[in-house]
Formats: sequence, C-alpha cells, structure tokens
Amino acid sequence: MNAAKADPTGGPILVGLGSDARSLRLVHAGFRMASERGCPWRVVHVEVPGWNTPEESDQARVWLQEASELGAEALWVRAPSVVSGLLAQARGRTPSLIILGLARARGPWDRLERSRIHALLGRHLDVPLLAVPLDGDAPREPRGDVFRDLVGVGAALAVILVLAGIFGAALAVEIGFPALALVFGLAIWFIHQRWGLATALAGVAGSLALYAGVFPGPARGLAVGDWPHLAAFAANQGGVLLLVHLLERLRREYRAGRIAQAESVLLMLLGRSLARCSTIEEVAEVLTQRIQGLFHAEAWMRLPAEGGGWRSYPEGRPAPPCPAPEQMLPAFAAAPAGEDPLAPLHLAPCAYVPLGGPAGPAGLLQLRPAGGGSLPQHRWGLLQAFATQGSLALERIRWVEAAQRARVENETERARSALLGAVSHDLRTPLAAIQGAATSLLLPEGALPEASRRDLLAMIRDESVRLARLLGNLLDLTRLESGVLRVQKAWQPLDEVVGSALGRAEREGPLPVDVVLPADLPPVPLDGGLMEQVLLNLLANARRHAGGSPVRLEAWAAGDSVELAVEDRGPGIPEAYHARVFEKFFRMPDRQGDGGVGLGLAICDAILKAHEGRIWVEDRAGGGARFRLSLPTGGPPPEPPLETGP
Amino acid sequence: MMTQPQILIIEDEAALRRFLVPTLEAQGYRVEVAEGGHEGLRQARTHNPDLVLLDLGLPDLDGLEVLRQLRGWSRKPILIISARHQEGEKVAALDLGADDYLTKPFGAAELLARIRVALRHAARPAQDTPLLVLGALRLDLERRDVSVDGTPVHLTPLEYRLLEALARRAGQVVTHAQLLNEVWGPAGAGQTHYLRIYMGTLRRKIEVDPTRPRYLITEPSIGYRLNGEGSGNRPGPEME
Repeated sequence: MNAAKADPTGGPILVGLGSDARSLRLVHAGFRMASERGCPWRVVHVEVPGWNTPEESDQARVWLQEASELGAEALWVRAPSVVSGLLAQARGRTPSLIILGLARARGPWDRLERSRIHALLGRHLDVPLLAVPLDGDAPREPRGDVFRDLVGVGAALAVILVLAGIFGAALAVEIGFPALALVFGLAIWFIHQRWGLATALAGVAGSLALYAGVFPGPARGLAVGDWPHLAAFAANQGGVLLLVHLLERLRREYRAGRIAQAESVLLMLLGRSLARCSTIEEVAEVLTQRIQGLFHAEAWMRLPAEGGGWRSYPEGRPAPPCPAPEQMLPAFAAAPAGEDPLAPLHLAPCAYVPLGGPAGPAGLLQLRPAGGGSLPQHRWGLLQAFATQGSLALERIRWVEAAQRARVENETERARSALLGAVSHDLRTPLAAIQGAATSLLLPEGALPEASRRDLLAMIRDESVRLARLLGNLLDLTRLESGVLRVQKAWQPLDEVVGSALGRAEREGPLPVDVVLPADLPPVPLDGGLMEQVLLNLLANARRHAGGSPVRLEAWAAGDSVELAVEDRGPGIPEAYHARVFEKFFRMPDRQGDGGVGLGLAICDAILKAHEGRIWVEDRAGGGARFRLSLPTGGPPPEPPLETGP
Repeated sequence: MMTQPQILIIEDEAALRRFLVPTLEAQGYRVEVAEGGHEGLRQARTHNPDLVLLDLGLPDLDGLEVLRQLRGWSRKPILIISARHQEGEKVAALDLGADDYLTKPFGAAELLARIRVALRHAARPAQDTPLLVLGALRLDLERRDVSVDGTPVHLTPLEYRLLEALARRAGQVVTHAQLLNEVWGPAGAGQTHYLRIYMGTLRRKIEVDPTRPRYLITEPSIGYRLNGEGSGNRPGPEME
C-alpha cells in the first residue's frame, strides 16, 4: 500500500470503483479513511462504453449502492477512459485523496492497468494517490466483447496482422520460416488475449491468407508458397488455435467463478441490509430495490394483511394487478415434473416467486421485468436466494414484533399497577388530611381555639402544595415520555441554571450547599426549565436524606460534555439499587415513608435522555450518594457577541 | 372607596373565582367577574378596570386572543393565570403585552404581591422613577449610576442597557425576546445566548454570590426579573 499523506484541506476522498467483487475492498477502505478523517467521500464508477458486460455494470451498481449506504456520494460516470473519467471528477472538486485498486500484475495488460495510476500522476494532479492491492491471484480476463465494436477491432486486427507479416517477413529473410510462424503465432495469441476466441479464429484465417497470398515465396528466394510449407504453417496455427480454445474454456470457467463470487457477496450484502430492517416496509424497500438493480425488474411483496386479504409492499408504489395469491401459492408447493425447480412462475407480464413462512409459502414476490421480457435463467438461483433472505427477514420481524408487544404490554401493566398503588396512597394521604382539616374548620364557631385553626389551615396549604407537586411530576413524566413536551435547547452557562435551582430549593427551607463552579465552564445547549427541574429534584433528595449535613454541587468540563455531581452525606444507595432508583415509582424498601413518591429521579432520567445526556449514581467516597450527570455540548458554542454601540 | 383600584377577573372556573373574589375584596380592591372571554372583553370596555386577571384557558375564546384585543385599546396591567400545560403560551402572552404571570396553583401572598407590583408600575411610569433602591443595589437611571453597598459599579454600555431594561419593569418578568429587542434591537432576535452571557457578567458585578442571585432572577425558559422586593425572597409559590 503506497503511503498517502493526510491532506489538511479536508476535500472529499475519491474512490475509483471497478466492477468485480474485490472492488468492495476499495469501498471499505474509503469508508474507513473518510470516518478517520471526518471528511466526505465519493465513490465513482467510470463506465467506458463498450468495455463492461451487463452483469458487470449491474454489480458495479450494487457496489455503488453499498457505498452510498455507508455514507458515500455514489456517482456513475461515462467517460472515454477510466483515467479521463476520474480526472473529470477530481477537477470538479479537488479531492484530498484518490483511492484506486491495484491488481497484481500478471501480464502486460495488468501493467497497463498499473499505468492508470501513473497516468493520473502525470496529469499534474496535486492529490495523493492510494493504491489498494486487490488479491490478484486470478489472472485478469480480457475485457470486452468482439461484436461490440466490430469495425474498430477488425481494423486493429488487420494492423496487427500486417505488422506481424512485415516484421515476420523482414526476419524471415534472415532466419527463415520458423520465425515467420512464430511471429504470426504471437500475433494470434495477442489477439486472443485482447478480444477472445472469435477474433482469434479470424486472425488465424487472416494469417493463413497473408502467408499464402501476400508472400509469394519464389520471388523472394523462399519456398513459402510450397504446399508442405503451407501445411506446416497451418499446423502451427492450428496448435495456436487449440491453445486458444483451451484458454477460452478456462476463461469461461473463471468468469463463472467470478460471477458466483459476486453473487455470494451480493447475498451477503442483502442479508446485512435486511438485518438492519425493523419493519415489513423496510424489508420490502431493501429487497425490491436490490432486485430492481440486479434483475431489471420492478418488484413488490404481497403479504397477507391483518384482518384478511392481501397487501402489497412497499406501500408507496402501486403494484400491478395480480391473480389471487391464495390460488397461486399451492402451485409453488410442487414444481411440475421436468421443470427447473428454480423457475419463477411466469404469468405475463409478471413473474412470481414464493416467500416462505413457518408453514409453507406465506406470500409472494411479484416481479415485472423491464421491457416486458422474462427473467434471465442464469439469475433464477440468485432470485430464489433473495426471496429466501426476504422471507427470513420477515419472519424475524414478526417474532421481534410479537416479543415487543408482549414486553410493552407487560411494562404497561406493571406501570399501571404501580401508578394505581402510588395514586391510592400518595394522593389519598394529602386529600384525607385536607378534607379532615377543612371539615374541622367548618365546625360550629368556637369549637376550635385560634392556634389550632391556624395549624389546620397551614396543614391544608402544605398538603395541597404536596399534592400539586405530585400531580405536576406525574404530568411532566407523562409528557416527557409521550414526547408532548418538546425540549427547547439553548446555549447557556450552567451557573444560571444552578443559581435558579438553588434559589428555588432554598425557598423550601434552608439547605446548606457548597457550590463549586469553575468560572470558565463552557456553555451547554440545554432546556433551562427542565434542567432546573433535574437539579431541584436532586437537591430535594439530598435534603430528604442528608439530614442537614451540607450538600456539595460541583460541575466541570469533560471533553465534549459538561458533568455535574450532587453529593450528600446521607445513608447512600446500595449498589443493587443504582439502576433501579431511576425507575418510575421505585422507592428503596426501607425509605417508604419519607415523603418521596419515586418520580423525581425518573423525571431526571427522562430529561437527561431528552438532552442525549445521562444520569447515574455512585457511592460517594466516605459515605453518601453521588448523583452524576453528563450533558453533551455537541460542538463548539456560538461565538460570544461583541460589545457594540454606546 | 372610589379611589380603590378596580380589578377584572376573567376566569371560567368557579372554584378559583370563589378564592379570588373574597381574597381581593378583603384587600379593598373593587372586583368585577367575567366567566368567559367575550363577557370579559365586554366588561373591560364597560368598566375600564385598573388591572385584569386573565385565565389563558377559557372555554369560549382563546386567552391569547382576549389579550390581543385588550391590548388593542388598553395599556392597563394584565396578569396572566396559566395552568401547567399552557407553559408554552406564557411567553407568547408576555410578548403580546401581558405584564406578568401566575402559574396554577398559586397562593394568595404571591397573587397580591404581583398585583401590587403591576399596579405600582402602572401608576408610576419608569421615567418618573429615576432612582431605584433594592436592598444594597442602588440604581440612578437619570445619572446612569449603579452602586452596590455604596461602592460604584462600572458597567459596560450593554450591561447597563440590560440592567436598565429590567429596572424599568422592576419586579415584573421581562421575556428574552423583549430584552433582546430593547438592548440589541431587531438584530438580536433569537440570539438568547447573547443575553445569557451578558446576564452572567452582570451578575458577577452586582450579585454578592452570583450562583445564588438575589437581584437578577432567572425565570426558566421565559426571561428574567429584577427582584422588586429587594429582600432576597423573590416572589414565587408559597412553599414555606
């Protein structure tokens, strides 16, 4: 791997992507480097007209999709050559780094491949290049299709043969016939390497014609026109042909192997994307999108709808009419004898593949090939594998949903009974006191001494304050959890919130608090009202449990967050309850009668979560509880304003 | 009795009216009652009360709409009464010209203190009270002179404008938007962090203990209040 220096300017990373399965390495290298540097990245596939087979283009499209799922900007570019395509991209927005694949050089054409990098370097492009070696054990196959550009190839063929003929003839003057045969053989080998079997056969025929017609031997003192010579030449070229044939077969097998490799990677990628889906709609999106790219067919999933009938997914795209799935499903159970078991059911204009369930086919994958054709046979297996993956994902979602429902029901039930318990106790107690006091006060004149009357009145006031606080807490928690209460964050120094919380806490009675706030504490984006509630709840707890000993409130900056601790010298919280104290209505078994209702810390937790922060409790060294909270600053604060004007 | 201020209560809940009417009458105020927004507006035109207590949650007409119509012709003080689920509307009401707010439930002492501040403020416009003394804090708006415990405090022009804006409505809440507009002008709109930074430096210059402010009180998510009582006990829910 060539060393590449990090560019401080922070331009995007540009990845030049080929079509074979190994190119995914480039995508992953790009992803890794872009995340390390925190810069954008672009993945470009340069399509050179006439060089990519349709399958290769499809694969490149899938690799591009994978790249864009990883956060890259994926681009498909047409250009006369890979180098010019990449250069055009690099000029548009100067990249900080270009990543290219480097196949291990096996032959002269791979060296040409390597020269791409030199060509890029030679264009005065002031950008570091990173060449990622692809595992190049398999030889690169010649690319292209002879019938694509017959005129061009034919012209090249003629030039090569004529050059070989002239060169061979010039040599043959000195060293005779074997050299001529050898040079023509080399030309055939070259043609085969570059353009394949059909062209090579044409080359053999061409070379024979040249040999027999263009070099009439006797005039040049050579007996090349003689039959034995011609036969020997033909045998020689025949040998070359045999070699070409064998090479061609090898090439085909290699290509099949490569397609199989690409297909297994495609399945892996599909499986991974499906694993991330959490709804049927998402599965349908992923599956149909991948099918569209690879099979050139629009696709829909037909699944049983709740309450009978069928429903097509993705729901945003209307599906073409389809025969009743329940009538088609039995047809999939047994494929007709003699038919390919992988074949999809084809009812023009659509093809159908079953989606499995726990008991046989449970749904359909409906495909409408582009242009009204049928699906290519060599892709049937892959299509069935896709359908299976989709079925598995659907099955998983069904189970997850069932488990989720059960969990929510369970939790709701638990919360409901806890709420009932709290309501029956915590609401009734102050209500009973208020009702009792009020009825006493309404007794006939003179029944109560003045001091008792004032006492009862004070009790009504205190109990109603307690009731109001409890209801307020319940309301806040409900609104926080249901998302009705929106957190309105604004950058502000923590000391303002601390100050206003202390002010409110002290109005409920004297509370000794040592405040340690560094003057240079960075501002934090937070909702002042909610965060004040958090501090108020923590201070109220400390007051309840600390028994008059001083409470310590400290804040400090910690990297990209600000942390705060409220410490008391109360009995502390046993480690077993460190997590549970933040649950709704949870109260420590030995502190039931202390006036708390078990909502304060749950509210703190909900507020911190809404701030993407965190609250937890520790044992304070030397005894007591230490509540800590961490608030992310989420980036640098806005610039402080300048003092202007008089 | 004709010199006693007249207060109009616009409140639909009978229980609250039952508490408000005798409490205010016991203080010598003349009290008018309206059970809905339309009736409240009608009564306001008839009686032209010195102060309006307006509940935001009225059945027939949005409290904010009542406020908007009242402010269309009257500069008399309006106190908002809001329930907990109307917190967001408090800022809107204050920015529409309400003078102060009370959150249900509230106590009589708090209510009376807010009414006193609002009436005092309405009776003596800020221009006529160049001298403000709050505990150790002394503010001379005419000579632009601030001192704490007799020691002059040097304020930057912006800090002074901020303090002045609060002092002109001493004891009453001033919203972030109002302060930004008064001190920074239209350019300050939405830049609440400006305000917080200057409030921080102002507190460090004026407050004895900036972490426990006595004068410059934060009203979370709403704005600030210069403590009008000057005692360190800011008006608030009666907890003691």
